[in-house]
Amino acid sequence: MLPSRRFALGAVLFVAALAPGTTAAQTTTPAAAPERTTDISGYMDFHFNKPELADGRLDFHRFVLLVTHKFSDRIRFVSELELEHAFVEGLEEAGELELEQAYLDFMVSRRFNIRAGMILMPIGILNERHEPPIYYGVERTFVDTFIIPTTWFEVGAGVHGELGRGWRYRAFVASPLNAREFSAEEGIRGGRQQGSDTNIGRPAVTGRLEYVAIRGLTAGASFWTGRSGFEFRPRFDVPVTVGEADARYSRDRLELRAQFAQVGIGNAALLNDALGRAVGVNPNIARTLRGFYSEAGYRVLSGAKAGDVGIFARYENFDTQFRMPEGYLPLKEFDRDAFVLGATYWPDPDIALKMDYSAVRNKSAVVKALDSFNIGLGWWF
Amino acid sequence: MIRNLTRAGSLFTIVGVLAISSGASTPASGQQPAQIVDVTVERFSFTPSEIRMKAGTPVEIRLRSEDTDHGFRIAGTEINITIPKRGRGTATVRFQPDKPGRYEFECSKLCGAGHAFMRGTIVAE
Repeated sequence: MLPSRRFALGAVLFVAALAPGTTAAQTTTPAAAPERTTDISGYMDFHFNKPELADGRLDFHRFVLLVTHKFSDRIRFVSELELEHAFVEGLEEAGELELEQAYLDFMVSRRFNIRAGMILMPIGILNERHEPPIYYGVERTFVDTFIIPTTWFEVGAGVHGELGRGWRYRAFVASPLNAREFSAEEGIRGGRQQGSDTNIGRPAVTGRLEYVAIRGLTAGASFWTGRSGFEFRPRFDVPVTVGEADARYSRDRLELRAQFAQVGIGNAALLNDALGRAVGVNPNIARTLRGFYSEAGYRVLSGAKAGDVGIFARYENFDTQFRMPEGYLPLKEFDRDAFVLGATYWPDPDIALKMDYSAVRNKSAVVKALDSFNIGLGWWF
Repeated sequence: MIRNLTRAGSLFTIVGVLAISSGASTPASGQQPAQIVDVTVERFSFTPSEIRMKAGTPVEIRLRSEDTDHGFRIAGTEINITIPKRGRGTATVRFQPDKPGRYEFECSKLCGAGHAFMRGTIVAE
């Protein structure tokens, strides 16, 4: 008998027992996984957005393909290529083609593994976990847009693993943010270098510690720190620090989420002065940005043949002018609150039809924040 | 390679398999009672991710997904099954190594950006 057959017989004696009343049971004989495999997967979503006082817009927001390859049990390749807003032309601002992930994982042990390439910054709930069917709301949260610049990806390398008892970690060095692209309204978002011929004179450091031992609960804390003033001459430091904590709990039909994030920008006065001289307008960049949100979702219909229906409510506070450098006044229009109410229908766990109403308020007496009504269809395959 | 597989195969007196069911499974007659472990699966974690068992005693691992379909593969064995999507039942694996050791398991179906983080260990003592 061939050794491989002896293995199959020795290894698989069986077992499959089905519960009484099982209607759609399937018994399978296990098959050895091939050592080298390539998989393609992806997610897409398109949105209808109707901002207050404006016409509605229909946008194919994301078309994302994931391609992975397993060279062996120890070496894997993962990539994620994203087309945003359906169309890219030259310097057109409407669309983006982004290589969000492209890395090799060297799996050394459960506690210690090495990753290198284009990687996601391990910050917050959504940056690493953003497939449309698994979060409520048509658009990503405001905090994960204006305070944490999701999707935040850079070229870098580092380590990740599990420490035991439900603790796991990642720690990477990566390209820093470019402070020249910071703004009052969107904070550090414009500063992402996104792996395109990046400056790596002083690499940034980022990490996350996560606790997943309690069923249904994921709690984590993340940081990012780097020097972002490399484009200025004479050169001066713009040290940036991001701190974040989050928790997510789900049990049966209920899902709760909360996240807090704060960004510190050092030498913000010098940065404003340098940018003001360069472009002729004071950018009014803050020295501290802060945001937090809490969300509750409940599946009012679960396990039905037609699918699941969930409703949710979210409160967000996000202020990209939270603390200003001395001599600068905050722009109150960027101190914002949002109340988001909505529903999701899942005809299949991997398809989500979403609808929400987003009421946004700010502290400005002059500039009004706009509400919006949104519909989205997203899927994963 | 084949020699390695043969060696690995000899480690297991029973490596079993599975079924996808909407309820609990019951042991077949004459079968050794198993330690039962319920595992919740979601992007991108198994909870618990560490399963402790006694070498020589079977463990029945019942895997239920909270979102999409995932895979469950124990490295070095032929166990590699699909865990059905949320609300579509439970996948059960029966595993019985006869020697102490650590057996790594992972999600074997690409499930999203953090797929590579979905790993765990069975510790047979």
